[in-house]
Amino acid sequence: MGKMTGLERVLTALKLKEPDVVPHFERVAKTVREAILPGASEEDFIEHMDLDGLRFIDRTHSWSYEMVDENKRIKKDQWGGFVRYTTEDNPVPMEPAIKSEKDLDAYVAPDPDQPWRYEYLKKVVKRFKGQRAIVVGVTDVFALGRENFLGDINYFRAMVKNTDMIERANEIILDYQLRYMKNCIESGVDLFWVNGDWAMTEKPMVSRKFTERFLAPPLKKLVDFAHSRGVPVVKHTDGNIWPIYDVIIDSGIDGLHPIDPMAGMDIGEAKSKFGDKVCLCGNVSCAFSLVSGTAEEVRRETREVIRKAGKGGGLICMSSNSVHSGVKPENYVAMVNAIREFGRYPLAL
Amino acid sequence: MSGGGMFKLEELSQAVIRGDNDAAFNLAENALAENVPARQILEKGLIPGLRRVGDLFESGEYFLPELIVAGDAVSQALDLLEPILAQAETPFMGNFLIGTVKGDIHDLGKNIVVMMLKGNGWKVTDLGVDITPEEFCETVKKGDYQVIGLSCLLTMTMGHVEKTISRLTESGLRDKIKVMVGGAPTTPAWAEKIGADAHAKDGPAAAKKAAALIGKGE
Repeated sequence: MGKMTGLERVLTALKLKEPDVVPHFERVAKTVREAILPGASEEDFIEHMDLDGLRFIDRTHSWSYEMVDENKRIKKDQWGGFVRYTTEDNPVPMEPAIKSEKDLDAYVAPDPDQPWRYEYLKKVVKRFKGQRAIVVGVTDVFALGRENFLGDINYFRAMVKNTDMIERANEIILDYQLRYMKNCIESGVDLFWVNGDWAMTEKPMVSRKFTERFLAPPLKKLVDFAHSRGVPVVKHTDGNIWPIYDVIIDSGIDGLHPIDPMAGMDIGEAKSKFGDKVCLCGNVSCAFSLVSGTAEEVRRETREVIRKAGKGGGLICMSSNSVHSGVKPENYVAMVNAIREFGRYPLAL
Repeated sequence: MSGGGMFKLEELSQAVIRGDNDAAFNLAENALAENVPARQILEKGLIPGLRRVGDLFESGEYFLPELIVAGDAVSQALDLLEPILAQAETPFMGNFLIGTVKGDIHDLGKNIVVMMLKGNGWKVTDLGVDITPEEFCETVKKGDYQVIGLSCLLTMTMGHVEKTISRLTESGLRDKIKVMVGGAPTTPAWAEKIGADAHAKDGPAAAKKAAALIGKGE
């Protein structure tokens, strides 16, 4: 087999076939990037590490924010809620946009058709199109509704007491996201990455019945739309999804991330149970080995992930969430090197 | 109290389990009208209901939505009882101080723990998110708390839980208070290693363990 481009590698794995090498891409925190290649932009870093794709999320690259309190790093997000920025520069919701059902009556949603939202995407398309996978995050309708729009507690309460409010919220968010995806497709996206947790470490957030009723239908609409334009979709959710994994897969997704090891999700078991249906994306621990292990421990764990889940293709090897600022830079490099050392097809593991 | 009163308290427990706010409020109101002591309504009606909800959560029958509406039902009834309970010098269980540690601004898990603790008769002081070890220590120094709960969601903020415990020790406050830790990346083994008295994996577990820490467990 000849050498594939990063894009070909990723798309081949998503089709559950063997590429030349197990693909890898990752969101890497600026501090880690700086330690590896000081002063480089994210795109330069990707080229330097020869990663197979570039992934960014909608919250950070296409949503608008207004500063509310600079000292406390609090901003108002485009939905009308308040977020606070972490040290990772991720906006974490702290107060939702909608306080009561009445707020929905006069609610004006943000406009996904504003051209500035796609400037970064167009920039990376110009640089990487056809060579590396351009992966755009789309916040899950459930996650956006729960975190930014209605607020966690109100959302869960409404699932039991006021299902109409959930339906109305989902409709507003879905309309935005579908238009956002359409614009991303026209701008050159290769793969959608639907962010948003459906599970906690112990178990899913809501029952299987509620998962089927409220969470899965909007996801399926996102997936169906992307597929209608020939773009694959990876769903991300942390947590223990064993009780609902089939519901997630039935939405038609092409890949599932991260097969959370901290929640007891073993990637070998995932491979045997649903590795013939979706591409597995994961799951070198960014809670333990990448943070506090040695480079050799990371190398061994990466080898193990490839051994368990790489056979026959259908694996994108990456961390179990993201390469956050707590990850040792040398451990990230060790993971990337190990993927290239052990991930060449046919696998010799 | 009459046998009818006990029946109503069992009904009150059932209303909590169903997450029926109106029924919980009305039953608590009726019980008060029948001169059932507020503390008994809490102890024999609301707390058993919420503990059963915790069991259902643990066994996998209930999830976050059911937990939250049950907490709401308790909260409705507590609105009636609290003015009366507040007349007593000490809260039914004790005073609980809680917060998410420095660098971490996640609070869903913590908020559910607060809800469960309140429903179980604790007076809870919630410091919020991104709380430094110094802020925790200052509050412990000034108040009369039996238990402190330290929450973190991120692996990278786990170190601040340990630092907070160390700061409590350095300040001579550690013997004054029991320490409970929890959050997605935490484990019982880690909690033990850093010198916590208890680890709770979720809201219902936190309520159970907090009671056990002060010798009022089931």
